[in-house]
Amino acid sequence: MRSADLLADASVASGPSRPRWPAAMARPSGVMLVSWFLGSVLLAFIVVPLLGLAISQSGASLVHVAALPEVRNAILLSFASALLATSVAALIGVPLAYALAHATFPGRGIVAAIVDIPLAVPHTVAGIALLFAFGRRGIFGAPAEAWLGLRFWGTVAGIVIAMLFVSVPYTVSAARIGFESVDPRLEKVARTLGMGAWRVLWHVTLPLAWRSIATGLILTCARAISEFGAVVILVYYPMTAPVKIYELFLRFGLNEAAAMATLLLALSLILLILFRWLAQGQGRASGYGR
Amino acid sequence: MNRPVLAVEDVSLGLGAFSLRNVSLALAPGEVLTLLGPNGAGKSVTLETIAGFHRPRAGRIVIGGRDVTSLAPERRRVGLMVQNYGLFPHLTVAANVAFGFVACGRARRPDGADVARLLTRFGIDHLAARLPRDLSPGEKQRTALARALARQPEIFLFDEPFSALDARTRDTLREELRAFLREAAVPAIFVTHDQADATVLADQVAIMDRGRIVQAGPVAEVFRAPANSFVADFTGVENRLPGRVVSRAGGRWQIAIGDRLLQADAPSLAAGTADVFLCIRGEDVALRSPGEPASDLSTGNRLTMRVERVIGLGALCRVVLDGGFPLIACLTRRAARDLGLVPGGHAVVEIEPESIHLLAG
Repeated sequence: MRSADLLADASVASGPSRPRWPAAMARPSGVMLVSWFLGSVLLAFIVVPLLGLAISQSGASLVHVAALPEVRNAILLSFASALLATSVAALIGVPLAYALAHATFPGRGIVAAIVDIPLAVPHTVAGIALLFAFGRRGIFGAPAEAWLGLRFWGTVAGIVIAMLFVSVPYTVSAARIGFESVDPRLEKVARTLGMGAWRVLWHVTLPLAWRSIATGLILTCARAISEFGAVVILVYYPMTAPVKIYELFLRFGLNEAAAMATLLLALSLILLILFRWLAQGQGRASGYGR
Repeated sequence: MNRPVLAVEDVSLGLGAFSLRNVSLALAPGEVLTLLGPNGAGKSVTLETIAGFHRPRAGRIVIGGRDVTSLAPERRRVGLMVQNYGLFPHLTVAANVAFGFVACGRARRPDGADVARLLTRFGIDHLAARLPRDLSPGEKQRTALARALARQPEIFLFDEPFSALDARTRDTLREELRAFLREAAVPAIFVTHDQADATVLADQVAIMDRGRIVQAGPVAEVFRAPANSFVADFTGVENRLPGRVVSRAGGRWQIAIGDRLLQADAPSLAAGTADVFLCIRGEDVALRSPGEPASDLSTGNRLTMRVERVIGLGALCRVVLDGGFPLIACLTRRAARDLGLVPGGHAVVEIEPESIHLLAG
């Protein structure tokens, strides 16, 4: 679940300035050797195809594809929609995570399971279900259009809804782990020191759970950017980046699609590493009164 | 007793399967009370109820003359100290102490003069910029005390702060805490299952079992005269022996244990009692060499017993004796060596009648 961890740590571990590394490798046990051997198969499985895609592309073809307005618009649309979806996930997912972490009601396990359903539903299925609920005559779609003038079919709102549905579980589960890791005694001490429940949430609980919440939001954002199945059913036009790549593939073949895919891959990685760095900086600096 | 700073009056509450039943406590200014009991007795729940985290079903809690029964924790002025001291791990020492001021609206900044004064008072000003994970247990305790004092509590509540520490550190911190409590003269309730905490820190002790207070009073009194066998067990009375009343003259009772007779002073025991438990603390059992002349204890109990085992416990040792009934004596290692105690040998046991506490059996 911590895919971003691997990416961040891989670059550090390869550096020569790690004294722990050779020491730990001096006499590896059999278990460690086997673990590393099998684990490196997995690492290669992840890295090799992506690296292969990246080096297959010439700089010129990347520049060519990046210059196309439809490509740039698709990527911008993807990023903007993913950020919106992540914001909504923060707004409604973090409170649910807090409730799940603190509540002791009997149906708690069921609620937690409901939140995880989107991970198990094929995304095309999710898209069709969303189309029913948010379509013109859907249970959410009809009142939204009547009262707010908000339509979900073929609009940015639809893209956000599709992204949110498939990616919000990451926020809830990571934030829940974060909240559960906060020692309730700290919250009690803060209360006796004179803070009301809301101020304790703000000054103690959220700063201490922030790392996990941020990790969840980053995973949600990453998942939202990469979503194809649910989005394409709800919203074909305007095209998000994955939809655009699919369209390029159908219309012009693999080469054109691969160039844009490389571009999206690079930008996504840059964005995620940037978020991760920001989140960690935030975690360190969230000291109170500093 | 002065007007109490804290009065818990007949408090009952239910929490799932657990309940507190008719808990009453009173604390005079500057007094320290330990709540002693096994795990699950309701000590922490009692403390949290005083702090305001549980609403009693019945009864009243008064702090500093103010009925706080229905007030939220932040509206009561209590200083809560928890296991590992509950320092905020994301804040420096100075910011932790400042939290105490900011939380109750008395200051805005962690570098204020008030914070500096508290840091100096506890000798932690050089640690101001450190994070809690880099502090020793002693430094954590001082930081937590400073933070709690910033709030100007009317009462301190300690919830087993030492339970995660090794024995040596615990002794040091307990001594440091005792000095602080004497000097600051803030009344405190100290929840623990370690009787050493009670004897070192407290004036008063209340023993809890299954949601009830089974005995309360001055520490020496409760330890000398436990009200029932649970308290005797929990306060670490080494010898609890079943006996039969033979005769009684005034407050002096003749008790038979097996074929031996012991005399005990128990002025308050009900006259008709036939079966009793004798509670004798190990340190009240004096040992002499068989050849030694009797001490000037003319009316006491004097019997010869066989030494079964001598168990060393650092500076102290525990001697297990048998003379028709088992008896444990606690003495210093030095005294045991001087007596030349060896398993299989004999020793003369002397117990003063007033050191034998009788419980109706």
